[in-house]
Amino acid sequence: MQYEQMNDNALVDMIDIHKYFGSVQVLRGINFHVDRGEIVGLLGDNGAGKSTLIKVLTGYHSLTRGQIYFDDEAVKINSPHDARELGIETVHQDLALVPLMSIARNFWLGQEPTYEIGPFKFLDKKMMARESIQALADVGIHVRDSEETVGNMSGGERQSIAIGRAVYFGKKLLILDEPTSALSVGETQKVLDYTIAAKEKGMSVIFITHNIRHVYEVADRFTIIERGHKLGDFYKSEVTENEVADMIVTGQIPERLRLYEEEEGGD
Amino acid sequence: MIQAYLDGKRGASNVGTLVAGLIFGFAILGFLIAYGVAFGWVPLGERIDILRSNLNTIEYIATVAFLIYAACCLRTAYGLYQREQSSLRWSQWTYFVTLIIGAAILLSVIIPVGLKFSLLLGQEIDLRSLINEDIGGLAPIALSIGESLISVSLLVAGLVALLALLVFLIPPLEPLRDMEGIRLIVAPPGKFVQAILIVLFVGVICVLIAGTFVVPLYPGYTTIRDVETHRLVAGLLFFLPGLFGYMQARQVQEQSDELRRAIALTPGKFIRAELAKSPSAGAIIGFIAIFMGFTMATDLFLEPSSIASFLSNVATKGVIAIGVTYLMISGEFDLSVGSILGVTALSFMQFMTLGAPIFGVMEPIPAALLAIFVAFVLGAINGILLISTRIPSFIVTLGTMLAYRAITLVVIAGGRILRYSDHHESLPIISISKIVFVALAVLGLLITAYTAYRALPLLYQRAMQAWSVRHNNGDFGTSGAIVRIVLLLLVLLILASIVLWLVAVFSYHINAGGGEMVEVGYFDLFNGRVLSIGSEGEFIHLQIPRSANVRLAIVWWFIFVAFFHVILTSTSFGNSIFATGGNEGAARAQGVNVDRVKLQNFVIVAVLTGIAAIYETSRNPGVDPRKGTGLELEVIAMTVIGGALLSGGYGSVVGSLLGALIFGMLQTGLVLVGIESRVFAGTIGVIIIVAVVLNTLVRGAQRN
Repeated sequence: MQYEQMNDNALVDMIDIHKYFGSVQVLRGINFHVDRGEIVGLLGDNGAGKSTLIKVLTGYHSLTRGQIYFDDEAVKINSPHDARELGIETVHQDLALVPLMSIARNFWLGQEPTYEIGPFKFLDKKMMARESIQALADVGIHVRDSEETVGNMSGGERQSIAIGRAVYFGKKLLILDEPTSALSVGETQKVLDYTIAAKEKGMSVIFITHNIRHVYEVADRFTIIERGHKLGDFYKSEVTENEVADMIVTGQIPERLRLYEEEEGGD
Repeated sequence: MIQAYLDGKRGASNVGTLVAGLIFGFAILGFLIAYGVAFGWVPLGERIDILRSNLNTIEYIATVAFLIYAACCLRTAYGLYQREQSSLRWSQWTYFVTLIIGAAILLSVIIPVGLKFSLLLGQEIDLRSLINEDIGGLAPIALSIGESLISVSLLVAGLVALLALLVFLIPPLEPLRDMEGIRLIVAPPGKFVQAILIVLFVGVICVLIAGTFVVPLYPGYTTIRDVETHRLVAGLLFFLPGLFGYMQARQVQEQSDELRRAIALTPGKFIRAELAKSPSAGAIIGFIAIFMGFTMATDLFLEPSSIASFLSNVATKGVIAIGVTYLMISGEFDLSVGSILGVTALSFMQFMTLGAPIFGVMEPIPAALLAIFVAFVLGAINGILLISTRIPSFIVTLGTMLAYRAITLVVIAGGRILRYSDHHESLPIISISKIVFVALAVLGLLITAYTAYRALPLLYQRAMQAWSVRHNNGDFGTSGAIVRIVLLLLVLLILASIVLWLVAVFSYHINAGGGEMVEVGYFDLFNGRVLSIGSEGEFIHLQIPRSANVRLAIVWWFIFVAFFHVILTSTSFGNSIFATGGNEGAARAQGVNVDRVKLQNFVIVAVLTGIAAIYETSRNPGVDPRKGTGLELEVIAMTVIGGALLSGGYGSVVGSLLGALIFGMLQTGLVLVGIESRVFAGTIGVIIIVAVVLNTLVRGAQRN
């Protein structure tokens, strides 16, 4: 289990990831991989280290030890900008949008389109408005006015905009960090639809949640994390929803699955 | 009844036609009054000569307002005649304008009365003795005891009523937020509330009548405009019917189901919604109110010399306020600007008099550049300390404020006052070729042409678009379209006059011959009187009265405001400033280099402060080591009045401009109306709180 062979089909391969905050060991040697065109449900109880693992991958935190391979190349991701350059788009749980800014400005934040007059670059506000409305409409979110401030919108609308943005800019990998935690049943269903839409665009998706119900429907594979360790990888065909829920709660692999687990480790 | 008429019910037909005719009559009356005021037949101000051609401010307002009033009346009458629903909305505008006219005239009584009365209260503790006896040089008043008692009790009752009225009028702003509040506004106020309002209003009228009788009898505050009773009558004549009609029209409209959905359409709400789009709504309201207030209180305020004096006073602080606004939007705070100003001013002077370490005694322009570089370094120290230690910026800049002050007190010039004249015999002078002026004029023309090219088609397009969809857009439609068209015409007018002026300057200097050199003082170039450049204004073709102290720093200030406004609103750097302050984590997650943005903003503040220091020093070429003490809080006050949120993420450069203007107007205006300048700090305090409350209210209204 400590060493995982490189998978030909893997888009991301994170090997032996350690992350310490001072003396607190949040990640203790995790191996994690995502295949091309695959939706992975990253599961675990609160405080298991799911978000930290993702923040390491997106450059928000630097890793203490370990190696990340992206597209079969060893990479160092030191900032969110680096992650973006690689084609990784993230919808963070708490860091999605700036409430006091307009939809269009939030949409393009960090990669604003500009036009040049001499040495000066100005925001191309027309394009920002047009493209953001169009892109959001493509994933099924209809906004009236791109100048509306995000602070005036409901939690679901905000989450949708953040996801719409990630789908629009994402090239290879889309990471959704607890996207459904604050949403109603209908809004959750929408998010799941976007996830499938992203997969159909050829992207891989990491879907982080502690609520198995929200992800069981769409995910191809589940990775369960327990107190900084990986409990295991399970394909949807192998496990039932209840078993996964049990594993998250108890941190134990059921008797029936232990053999599969070992076999999978070797493949 | 009117609704019945509009619905085409038979019985209401005659009445409706009658009302339409009546309103048409009002329209004619409005035109007549506008004409009368404009040509001096109907005096609203103090007039010595009935045919005097120069109008005062109130008369200008009245003329324009009456024209709008007449237009609204015409449209209402036409609408009623055609039985259009929209005539109801137009009648609202009619009443609204009447309200404004009445309120303006009333205010021109209330403000002087209030000011004089408060000044009297400040001097005399016992009101009765004030009215009956001659104390402290105040003239005795020929009022009997009965009369004086009545006046005093009227005044007291009126003041209480005024306070109560305010308390009653303020709450309806707030509950707009939720559904319940909307219902509260849809329902006409209860009979009880109405009765109380009427009683209170009578009280207010009492105070006014008493005030107009008592206050003018006291001479001594000659700067405050005298109270005139006839204006009170005129004001009430307009205000009361206007208020009554406005309330009635609103009720009719709100009861009609078809229009209920367009509830946000009364003129008051329209204006609030328009204001809510701007971060500096509170500052805009405050600016208009204070400007109008001083204009009405004293004739000395709206004079070129007063305006120029307050602009010159705040121009340097305004430049710093731009930077502080940037910093505040990005969620940080700088207390050290006063000290940076001191260090920069002193080093500028030091470089020119005692000399810099390597360069020796320097010419003004290199010295200014080096001094600004010093400011740059100080700002960078602030920023680097902040991002490397992660201490709150309040603490960091509190520390550097004290530390930088030590530089001026100890290191430079040993804490003495440095004067340019102690080291040089005459102020530095530079020769400028006339070609420079020609080039500047050409540059100005190019910039104007480019602005016109960018702005005019857009404005035209928007106006036409708004006009074409005006019917689908509720009440916003027509009035919004008219506002846009007026805006277009205004911009066109301004651009045309700028072009004419620049062409005049251009042709003057071309004809004067290219080779000539003009001698200009260096300090005048930084921050001198505009008239001192060249031979008394001939050069720039501006009609500036000799008494007006228009300084060049004002021009620089406005240029900086325009420049930094564009950067903040139309570049990705501006976008990342907003994001950094609005939600630092989100900004970082989206790949914005938050630390760099903060560092850049600290440097921008410091450099702008350095530039301000050069202005201050040029205006008065002698530097005290304590220069700039206390400046930081004044600048933060300006920024906060201008609508920037202390918590970051919200604000505008134009807001800082307005904040600085309010600051300056109060500084100059309070002195002009005869109030002691010691009250200034207290007034600013009140204004800050009022402005922030207004901003919050308006942002609340925006949520709907």
